[in-house]
Amino acid sequence: MIDLPFLLAEEIEGGLFDFNGTLPLMALQFLTLMVLLNTIFYKPVTKVLDERDEYIRTTLTTASSMLVKADELAAKYEEDLSEARRNAQLKIASSQKEAQNIVSEDIKKAQLNAEKLIAEASKQLNVQKEEALKTLENQVDTLSDQIKVKLLSSQS
Amino acid sequence: MYQNSLIDFNPYNSLSAVEVGKHLYWKIGSLQLHGQVFIVSWLVIATLLTLSFLGTRNLQRIPEKFQNFMEFILEFLQDIAKNQIGEHEYRPWVPYIATLFLFILGCNWAGALIPWKLIHLPEGELAAPTNDINTTVALSLLTSLAYFYAGLSKKGLGYFARYIQPTPVLLPINILEDFTKPLSLSFRLFGNVLADELVVSVFTLLIPILIPLPVMILGLFASSIQALIFSTLSAAYIGEAMEGHGEE
Repeated sequence: MIDLPFLLAEEIEGGLFDFNGTLPLMALQFLTLMVLLNTIFYKPVTKVLDERDEYIRTTLTTASSMLVKADELAAKYEEDLSEARRNAQLKIASSQKEAQNIVSEDIKKAQLNAEKLIAEASKQLNVQKEEALKTLENQVDTLSDQIKVKLLSSQS
Repeated sequence: MYQNSLIDFNPYNSLSAVEVGKHLYWKIGSLQLHGQVFIVSWLVIATLLTLSFLGTRNLQRIPEKFQNFMEFILEFLQDIAKNQIGEHEYRPWVPYIATLFLFILGCNWAGALIPWKLIHLPEGELAAPTNDINTTVALSLLTSLAYFYAGLSKKGLGYFARYIQPTPVLLPINILEDFTKPLSLSFRLFGNVLADELVVSVFTLLIPILIPLPVMILGLFASSIQALIFSTLSAAYIGEAMEGHGEE
């Protein structure tokens, strides 16, 4: 062993390697400190950290589920929108067709009417023509008779 | 001894005498205690408790400044334990590792930062509690107990199988390791802290102003490194004891 009076003092008290009751009491003191720090520092702070982790995790999951939901909703709205647009297109097309139908029908009806009127008018014209012809024929007869008479009388 | 001649010679003797191996003795029953160690360690403990009480008084989900600081410290300490012991089993050991770090750091810094020489004791002097071999041996024996407890509680008696792994030839070395671990832990801390304080006091004895300052700063750095080393090694020993040696 090193024989330095101030390093290892066996006769007199003291020295660097002077083991005594300090050792176990220091160990006890350290354990007590550990328990105390555990209750007032480590445990509550760990709990807060864990709770925060949990909170962040749940918030993240809800956020991502919300995002998915939002995406779904957007997709659905998009679909609805395109369907509505298609419907509108269809309706426009059908109403245009209907309008055209109506117009063409009206035109047809008007044409028919006009034809009927024309036909009637020409029929009447024909009737009148015949009547006129008939009267003219009669008159032709009488006139020819009169001419005959006149000619005969003048001859005689 | 030569100490007396130094004191006679030096005009700053009240501030800068070198005192080694002198203790303030207290007696409790038949126990002899080193009073100066307990005085400073109580101060350290009180500081730690006050800080953690103030820092955790009003815990919130969104941390304020002080709470943030405490959380940062705790996460740092948890990381030490996590890196050495492993993700799944580090949690029960965080209090031990963290308290080791905080207590040793507090003790070292208490010795380095507070001008204890201004306070006169009847015998001995106030200094870092870690420059007393009793403190460091107490802590390293606790580490030994901790890793034995960790290994035994994890694997039961199968823990002792690791003494003959990888080959039974290594049995004596493995047994020897159980003695060298606390020995090296305690002497590393004790030697570093004591040497630092001795260097500082010898320097102040020779040149009282400015020259010891870099050494003091180096001492602050070295003592925080020592606290980190002690707690990291303790965690490593505990992790090693719980680690499966090809059994899992």
